[in-house]
Amino acid sequence: MNAFALPRSRWVRARDWLACGLMFLAIALPSTAFAQTVKLINGDVIQEIPLSDLRAISDTSFTLYDPYQGRDVEMKGVSFRRFLIDQFGAVPPALHFTAWDDYEVTLDGWDDPNWYLITFEDGDPLTIRTRGPARLVERAYSGRDIHNLRDFNDWIWMIRSIEAKW
Amino acid sequence: MTSKTKSAERRSLQPRTFTRQHRYVTWLSLSLMSFLALMVLIVYESRWVYPEIQAYFSQTGNLTGQQLATRSRVYLQDAQVELLNDQPEQAAYEAAMLDIELAYGLFDIYVYRRQYECTEPSLMDLNRLVAWLEMSEIDRVAAVEELFAPIECLTRIEMHQLDQRGEAINNFSESTRQHNLVLTYSSLLIFIMGLVFWWLHERQLRRTDRATQETFEWMQRAMRDPLTGIGNRSALHQDVMSHQHQKLGLVMIDIDFFKQYNDAYGHPQGDTLLRQLATLISQTLQQEAQLYRLGGDEFAALLHCPDVETLKRYCRQLIEGVREADFAHSAHPDKKSVTLSVGASCFTADERSFAHAYEAADKALYRVKAVGRDGWQVTEDA
Repeated sequence: MNAFALPRSRWVRARDWLACGLMFLAIALPSTAFAQTVKLINGDVIQEIPLSDLRAISDTSFTLYDPYQGRDVEMKGVSFRRFLIDQFGAVPPALHFTAWDDYEVTLDGWDDPNWYLITFEDGDPLTIRTRGPARLVERAYSGRDIHNLRDFNDWIWMIRSIEAKW
Repeated sequence: MTSKTKSAERRSLQPRTFTRQHRYVTWLSLSLMSFLALMVLIVYESRWVYPEIQAYFSQTGNLTGQQLATRSRVYLQDAQVELLNDQPEQAAYEAAMLDIELAYGLFDIYVYRRQYECTEPSLMDLNRLVAWLEMSEIDRVAAVEELFAPIECLTRIEMHQLDQRGEAINNFSESTRQHNLVLTYSSLLIFIMGLVFWWLHERQLRRTDRATQETFEWMQRAMRDPLTGIGNRSALHQDVMSHQHQKLGLVMIDIDFFKQYNDAYGHPQGDTLLRQLATLISQTLQQEAQLYRLGGDEFAALLHCPDVETLKRYCRQLIEGVREADFAHSAHPDKKSVTLSVGASCFTADERSFAHAYEAADKALYRVKAVGRDGWQVTEDA
């Protein structure tokens, strides 16, 4: 195949610069107006926690290999067990999660200090496009195959609401 | 048989018995272990292999059950629908942006970036489109068109992933077939081994039973007089010892002039007479007594003896019974038919009193012989 460079017009160059600027804005601007709260449901009581509050209580940082990104990522969040106790008074036997991508699941076994509710990655707040605004990860997952994403099915992404199942 | 050969035989018997028992235990253990192994194999299959199959084919309730690429494509198509819907432009843009953001999150996966060249450009396209939508710098139709390239990329990923999944299923199917084949043959082998070991165990058991039976029969024969079939001296001693502390009567019986009988009629006829007398004495004393041949022409009977009078009655019955039978004895010095001399004593069964009773009955017998035979006497204070 013969490849050669075409002389670009001023208009084309301007359009390219504009595209770059727009891309920068898309990344730099806060991630749109949606996904600004996480809903907590405990029977009839529904509480919406602003993401800013959730980010404010994120007090633990650690570096973890994220199999979905294929690299070590510095994550920051809060111990999920402690979060549940703070919000629900105790760790519920099971939790029903709803995600922004309409994924729904009910899982149990959350009385485990290994789980973290993270809101930051590499210093940046999680957005929907980075599978946020809140995500559940296990701080230690020894023995699992990092190349098999099925092993990480219970990392809940894009958390929209958490309902306690007593 | 000399004592040397007897001891040699004893030496050879003892280890053999031990070896047999050892082998018996081993066959049984091996058989049980085989069946246990079969059970373990079955449990393993049901408990561990089945969940593996579930992991391969179950698609319910997990995040990656449906491909991320598929879900991402659906969101991009939803974004197209939102853009083309008859709704205010700002609302259409916001709905489309949410869908594109969700699609981006599901698309921006390391595996896709690594394996599919179209991923990076598609993600950049989406970035650019979101920026345009936020600034409202693109019209709806153009935005819809911008989404076709990422959708095409996602479709390609989906197809390739489906191919890979199909290949994985085929490989799994093939390995499952191989696994089943190995499982079938190994189960069959283990089962057959179990059966063989069980058969060996049964055979060993039968041999042991047969050996026990032979030993028992040999012991029975050792206690019997081969000519008459009644017990011998050893059996008499054993029977006395098995009736410890019971009141018993010992009757010693001797055939008068038996040597002359043998001389006159020959030994075969003498043997016949011994068998006939054994039968006669048994019948006379009925089933209450046990009869023994102590050797030559001497018999002994052991019976319950509540009192001396009963013993005397038995002795009398014996003498009269033989007289009535009237066995010819042409060499009898007194020109009589076959006659008996009988001595008896009562005793309470134990080792020491039996020896005394034996001596007392024997003395009574000799007293009868001394006074001319064909009679009976009972020693009352044995």
